[in-house]
Amino acid sequence: MTEITQLLQRLDAGDPRSAEELLPLVYEELRKLAASKMAREAPGQTLQPTALVHEAWLRVAGGTAPAFHGRAHFFGAAAEAMRRILIDRARRKSAQKHGGGQARVEMDDWEIAGPAPDEQLLALDEALGKFAMLEPRKAELVKLRFFAGLTTEQAADALGISEPTAKRWWAYARAWLWEQIRAAA
Amino acid sequence: MSAIPDANAPSREESVFNAALALPPAQRAAFLDRTCAADGALRARVDALLRSYGESEGFMETNTAAGPHGTIVAAGSEGPGDVIGRYKIREKLGEGGCGMVYVAEQTEPVRRRVALKVIKLGMDTRSVIARFDAERQALAMMDHPNIAKVLDAGTTDKGRPYFVMELVRGIKITEYCDQHNLDTEERIRLFVQVCHAVQHAHQKGIIHRDIKPSNILVTLHDGVPVPKVIDFGIAKATEGRLTDQTIYTQLFEFIGTPAYISPEQAEMSGLDIDTRSDIYSLGVLLYELLTGKTPFDSQELLDSGLDGMRRTIREREPVAPSTRLSSMGATDLTETAHRHRAEPPRLVHFIQGDLDWIVMKALEKDRTRRFETASAMAMDLQRFLTNEPVEARPPNNWYRLQKMARRNKAVFAAAAGIVAALALGFGVSLHLYVKEKAAEKEQARLRQLAEAGLEFERTQRQHAEIGMQLWRAGVLMSQDQFDQAEALVKEVPPIPQRAALDNVLGMVRARYGKFPAAISNYIKSTQAQPTNDTGVHCLLPLLAHEGKTNEFDEWRLKALDQFQSTGDADVAERLGLDCLILPANEAEMGRIEKMLETVKSPNQPLAELARGLVEYRHGQFAAAAARLEKVVDHQPNGNAEQQARLILAMAQTKAGATVHLDPPNPTLTGPDWNEKMTTQLLANEARTVLGR
Repeated sequence: MTEITQLLQRLDAGDPRSAEELLPLVYEELRKLAASKMAREAPGQTLQPTALVHEAWLRVAGGTAPAFHGRAHFFGAAAEAMRRILIDRARRKSAQKHGGGQARVEMDDWEIAGPAPDEQLLALDEALGKFAMLEPRKAELVKLRFFAGLTTEQAADALGISEPTAKRWWAYARAWLWEQIRAAA
Repeated sequence: MSAIPDANAPSREESVFNAALALPPAQRAAFLDRTCAADGALRARVDALLRSYGESEGFMETNTAAGPHGTIVAAGSEGPGDVIGRYKIREKLGEGGCGMVYVAEQTEPVRRRVALKVIKLGMDTRSVIARFDAERQALAMMDHPNIAKVLDAGTTDKGRPYFVMELVRGIKITEYCDQHNLDTEERIRLFVQVCHAVQHAHQKGIIHRDIKPSNILVTLHDGVPVPKVIDFGIAKATEGRLTDQTIYTQLFEFIGTPAYISPEQAEMSGLDIDTRSDIYSLGVLLYELLTGKTPFDSQELLDSGLDGMRRTIREREPVAPSTRLSSMGATDLTETAHRHRAEPPRLVHFIQGDLDWIVMKALEKDRTRRFETASAMAMDLQRFLTNEPVEARPPNNWYRLQKMARRNKAVFAAAAGIVAALALGFGVSLHLYVKEKAAEKEQARLRQLAEAGLEFERTQRQHAEIGMQLWRAGVLMSQDQFDQAEALVKEVPPIPQRAALDNVLGMVRARYGKFPAAISNYIKSTQAQPTNDTGVHCLLPLLAHEGKTNEFDEWRLKALDQFQSTGDADVAERLGLDCLILPANEAEMGRIEKMLETVKSPNQPLAELARGLVEYRHGQFAAAAARLEKVVDHQPNGNAEQQARLILAMAQTKAGATVHLDPPNPTLTGPDWNEKMTTQLLANEARTVLGR
């Protein structure tokens, strides 16, 4: 907990390495959260990324009431963590599907509802990687909205931009990514 | 500026893309021509992005109605080049609540461009197609220049239902009117065409169910705007069994604008929607064309939640269009008026009254009070445009006169009391006649809905035409142009409404001494309205006067058939006298006596005069003389006194007395010419009896 709070504060102070250190922690937190939820929920139930991320945030930040930017950066980290979880899972499932006679590949004991079918998710992630090289901030917006499930307003807050700007970015990102996916297909 | 790159600063590509996106699609090409000028690469790039943007609707949206399994690709899974059934997609045409519309090319059996609409999410494709198939035949029968034909339906590879329609490249009717600053009359003319299209579909048994501006597109044919109604049959096919939870999103998704939903549609029972639901939506459309607003604001309806929305649509009375305009802010009103090329006060005045009534009649909550058909609504608007009285307004004679005055300003300036008197008489009877006919038609409608709609339309039009013809005749008469009036009246079928005019014509002819012409007028009035006692009261003396004894006998019998049990003192007593101007046989005499006996409270001394004549004709001379002696004292100098003196003199002479009387020879002038004619006939008889 305190470690996370410290990391958040360092993030606010502009230390770029803190995000790299924060990520595994958030990732771990999300996994634990999902696992404990699954234990209680009926089998087959899927969990929403948004709900998970929000709950992870409450657990991670606890009652320390961190400053706004801490929260914003947390969402950035959580979005990245969520993306990794979902992409890893999609890759594994895809490999399992195409792996022929392979026996059951070890799967996580929990299931998160992906925002899209696996192949499409992978295609999007690939395009997003290219987009991030050209437009890192807009790629961040896509992660926040798509992987962390934030609304435009929340994502704009997290990025410190206005909502109209977020909408313009989103339009551009959507067109760009779509164009890229089509070209690749 | 170029020295330090700002992380948030957009690239040129992004700036141009976003600027183009903010423009209406039609203006984008011109903008890009200007902006990209020589930069072909930039242009190509932005074009590609814009196309991608259009195709990627719903892409990466995780918070949509699609539910827990958000989709990376919502509606964009079809794109240019894809083939759906027999159709090859060319370009995107538009997107609506329920799906994407593309321009597609059909190669077989004919090569043509069509509009292809792919229904968006979550619909049970099989039942959509089944519902469409159920209506397919009826849809194929629609053939109207203002309706875009629905050609085909099917299922895409991805399992979504699609519809194929005649390709219409146009803009929403409301936008067309505002962009071209159409004045109110031009708007109404366009709207009337929409009504005719809807009527055509209704006659084929097709209800649209989703009439709203985006389903009525205006295209130009040789510079003439032509409205086209699209999506016939699609609302029905895509309407599912809705539960309360889904209605709200369904409404939002599929109907888009709840402002156009009729009260019975808002009920959501889904069972009992008929053509009058479309009439309501037409009313909303007309409201919007006139005021720029819908009766209830769409956003407010959505914000009030499902129950609030239902309540408003079912219970709240919208304000009349003119009231809506006058209660707008000055800026809004000026702007709206400007779009109609009018000054604010003139616009309000123009809409006030007739247009208010027409719109409000279409918007009645109780559908039985709306226009029965779309063409009844169209006809009323047509009447408004030609300054004729509209049906939407309850009949009121003063209103009808006002209308006529507006139409015939010069003529009407001279019109005198006759017209007003006529109006009071047959305005009411015309109303009753129309009501009676409407009741008859209501039954017919229940028997054969489509056919009856046509029939109702026909009789409605006929009533309106007859009414107008009679009115014109009335105006001509007030101008002493009786020949022209008669020519008009002649074309009218023998309905009760024309009897009043025939009576006036007969009276005019008789007073000019043209008795044969008068006779034919009164015969017509009596045939048109057998209960019209005035006609008979004039006809019988005329026939006797002209020596037409056979016809006199014939009409006397008809009069007795009609009035023998009248009970009305005025009718029975006057007619009793008329029937005995010429001698009658025993049977007729008996019927005349019976007619007089039906009177409960006789007019004295008129009743005695009639009885005296009956006794005289029976040969009971002493009794007649005794009775009439009393009458003479009571009737100084009137027609009745003169008639009583003549009959008395004849009775006394026949009884053996010597009577000194110089029978009068009245000229047949004045309003009581027919009474004078009776006096003259009795005087002639008396001269013979008295030997003078």
